[in-house]
Amino acid sequence: MARYKLSVNGRPRPVSADPDTPLLWVLRDSLGLTGTKYGCGEGLCGACTVHVDGAAMRSCVVPVSSVAHQEITTIEGLSAKGDHPVQRAWVEEDTPQCGYCQPGQIMCAASLLAFRANPTDSEIDDAMSGNLCRCGTYPRIRKAIHRAAGLAALAAKRSKS
Amino acid sequence: MSAASGLDRRTFLKIGATAAGGLIVGAWRASGVPPDTASGKALALGAFVEIDPDGTVIVFSPRPEVGSGVKTSLAMLIAEELDVDWKTVRVRQPEQLEPKYLDQFTGGSAGISDSWEPLRRAGAAAREVLIAAAAEKWQVPSADCRSDRGAVLHPPSGRRVDYRELVARASELKPREKPALKSAGDFRIAEKPTPTVDLAEIVTGRITYGLDIRLPGMLHAVVERCPVFGGKVARFDASRALAVPGVRKVVELPAHRFALKSGRPIMVADGVAVIATSTWAAMKGRKALRVEWDEGSAASESSATLRAMLEKLTAGEPGKVLRNDGDVDAGLASAARKLEAVYEVPFVEASPLEPVNCTARVRDGACELWAPTQNPYNARNFAGTALGLPEESWKTAITVHMIRPGGGFGRRLDTDYAAEAAYLAAQVPGEAVQVLSTRGDELQHGLYRSNGYNRMRGALDEKGALVAWSQHLANCSRYRYQHGESPPWDSEIYQDDFPAGHVPNFRVGYSEAQTAVPRGYYRSMAPGATNFALEGFLDEIAHAAGKDPLAFRLELIGEGRVLPYANYGGPQFDTGRLRRVLELAGQKGDWGRSIAKGRARGIAGGFVFGSYSAAVAEVSAARDRTIRVHRLVSAVDCGRVVNPTGARKQIEGAMNDAMNLALKLEITFEKGRVIQKNFTDYPLVRMRESASRIETYLVESDKPPTGLGEIPVPPAISAIANAVSALTGKRVRRLPIRLG
Repeated sequence: MARYKLSVNGRPRPVSADPDTPLLWVLRDSLGLTGTKYGCGEGLCGACTVHVDGAAMRSCVVPVSSVAHQEITTIEGLSAKGDHPVQRAWVEEDTPQCGYCQPGQIMCAASLLAFRANPTDSEIDDAMSGNLCRCGTYPRIRKAIHRAAGLAALAAKRSKS
Repeated sequence: MSAASGLDRRTFLKIGATAAGGLIVGAWRASGVPPDTASGKALALGAFVEIDPDGTVIVFSPRPEVGSGVKTSLAMLIAEELDVDWKTVRVRQPEQLEPKYLDQFTGGSAGISDSWEPLRRAGAAAREVLIAAAAEKWQVPSADCRSDRGAVLHPPSGRRVDYRELVARASELKPREKPALKSAGDFRIAEKPTPTVDLAEIVTGRITYGLDIRLPGMLHAVVERCPVFGGKVARFDASRALAVPGVRKVVELPAHRFALKSGRPIMVADGVAVIATSTWAAMKGRKALRVEWDEGSAASESSATLRAMLEKLTAGEPGKVLRNDGDVDAGLASAARKLEAVYEVPFVEASPLEPVNCTARVRDGACELWAPTQNPYNARNFAGTALGLPEESWKTAITVHMIRPGGGFGRRLDTDYAAEAAYLAAQVPGEAVQVLSTRGDELQHGLYRSNGYNRMRGALDEKGALVAWSQHLANCSRYRYQHGESPPWDSEIYQDDFPAGHVPNFRVGYSEAQTAVPRGYYRSMAPGATNFALEGFLDEIAHAAGKDPLAFRLELIGEGRVLPYANYGGPQFDTGRLRRVLELAGQKGDWGRSIAKGRARGIAGGFVFGSYSAAVAEVSAARDRTIRVHRLVSAVDCGRVVNPTGARKQIEGAMNDAMNLALKLEITFEKGRVIQKNFTDYPLVRMRESASRIETYLVESDKPPTGLGEIPVPPAISAIANAVSALTGKRVRRLPIRLG
């Protein structure tokens, strides 16, 4: 066991864990942040997607020892009030079905939009194809990402004027 | 609801339909909490409605939400008849399995149709006692009062009183056995597009799925199961596993020792469980286990041996002839043109994204289950069996907490995970244990929808009319595996499916293959496996007759009529409604119109579980020979649509699953073991592979609602296959589709 002073959602979170413990299980079992999901354990489905220094990462294959000094953001910390443009767009498009993959989809989409403010369909497909949705909400996810891009642009315009 | 242990779906339905009326009133009395207006707490009006002093209306939506939207749509039915403003409604699901909620099962695409009347009556019963309470208060006849969005009016005097002021008195009144229902024309909530409840909780990660259950001191367990079906633990060495920090206990899981009274197995495979203080410790402990297996007789089974068995079975006469109209042999012998073909589908596993799991705690002879399941009745029965508790004690000794599952697709109709969790929790009395299946466990120790080998024969006369048709299916029956009371073919093939009733010489037969492969459910079950054979063969017959595939089908149907249908979804099959969805899909899907070079369209239809659907697919082939589905158009007639928003989402999801089944999914075996280990070799459709255009069309109908979640899947699989056949000129007869 080793001790780590993780920074999660802007707060210091000290934990004890084996260095090889995937970040996913530290978040879920040690810190009680269960919004990040287990789906495959091999980085194939994206249900465990979190941000590490702003970039989308599959937390099921990231050992805790490798992110000890980086800022980790989970779905719980994406926005204070659940009103990140991606979250709002997801609600407005009525995207989720079972909902299990959606925290990972949302974290991946938020990371995409942070790097690419107005992605094309094909850029969306490229960025999101690592995230499986078993229910088949892909058409709504595509629409929601476009909508989120619009909401974010609108918010940016408002804050300037 | 009676113990659903050995009941098949049809028996289950019968009980639900006849008992519902009386049960509402029964449940009402059972809920008889003395009203206490001073406490400021919400007061109950029967099992399904509570009204808070602040006017918030809490509606309990009884069936498990696996993602099909029933939590929203069932609450809409109750709220509609209660006559409240939907904006004042907060929807909750029952926290536990309790008789007063009538039916807490989700499956068979029957959530809406089974609830359509009972839950509206529950809402109406609450409305009627509120009206009675107002009438009493005003000393006027009830008949002179009416409800109006959360209040009762007395039009002659213009008086009005909010429900919240009436609820204390109303909760003491007994409703009528059969309260009057609104006519559909008066609906204000039902049939209006309504946002899914819980969206805000889902997008913030706050909603609790099975694996998110956290209890004080909870332990985590994973199970190393015998890789070969039906194998057992010969011996194991736990010393290295126990040396892993956090590992608390290593125990054998002797699955083969347990079965329901019917003989139905309650767990999938024998194994060795590692119980630890964290998931990762349990996983590391599992890796450190040394287990020797007694592989048993199934080690000689493989996909090739199974296929050879099916091939051999269909070469002979069917084990059971299920329908035999006219004289097929004579029809085939005298025909101008004969066709014969074999259509094959593979084993598939439902693989919801949240792998199956369950949390349990056993203490003082009682068991609590936190069960993400579609079938809490079976979860209870399986846990009771695993614990060796006497059957008469199950309802009192076992508490089932209702937890949202991360998807179902049929996998959560089975409840092996509840049996495992209960058994393992009993090994650490007093402590809660969460048992997790990894993705590999899910794929390798699943309950699989059977493969199928359909030998099809057909004949045309000189004019190109279909005069003989024969289908002989061989596969591995789910009912046989489950030791159900129904015959083995009942879960596998529906002999009254189209074109039954439209061909003078018509025969459907079934032969059963024996295997050790555990069988379970997959969204759209039997039709999901057989529609491809029916609609594919029909398509090739149309081509042989030199006719357009849509025109050929419509000609076969003619004007349409109502036929008897003895299978699930019956008792009637209205071919006119099938005609209508075929026409609608054809029209919206540009059937017969020009198409971009390198692309082709396919069409198919089907009557599935009481509803009708048809699909048009548009496909092309990439340079690497992968198939690209560009567009899927689905037309559905499922009677009245309670929530059009939810309905469209279900159809979109069904199109996705059709792509999974047509292009992607296959479970294969070697030496009695499943080959597939994760999403690399069991590749669900990804966004870039998904059709860029998915269009949904709902037929407007005044018929009572029938199912939806599974209905559009089978014809869409067939439409994709038929489109690929049209594209390549080579008939697709095997799923998943691979271009040579």
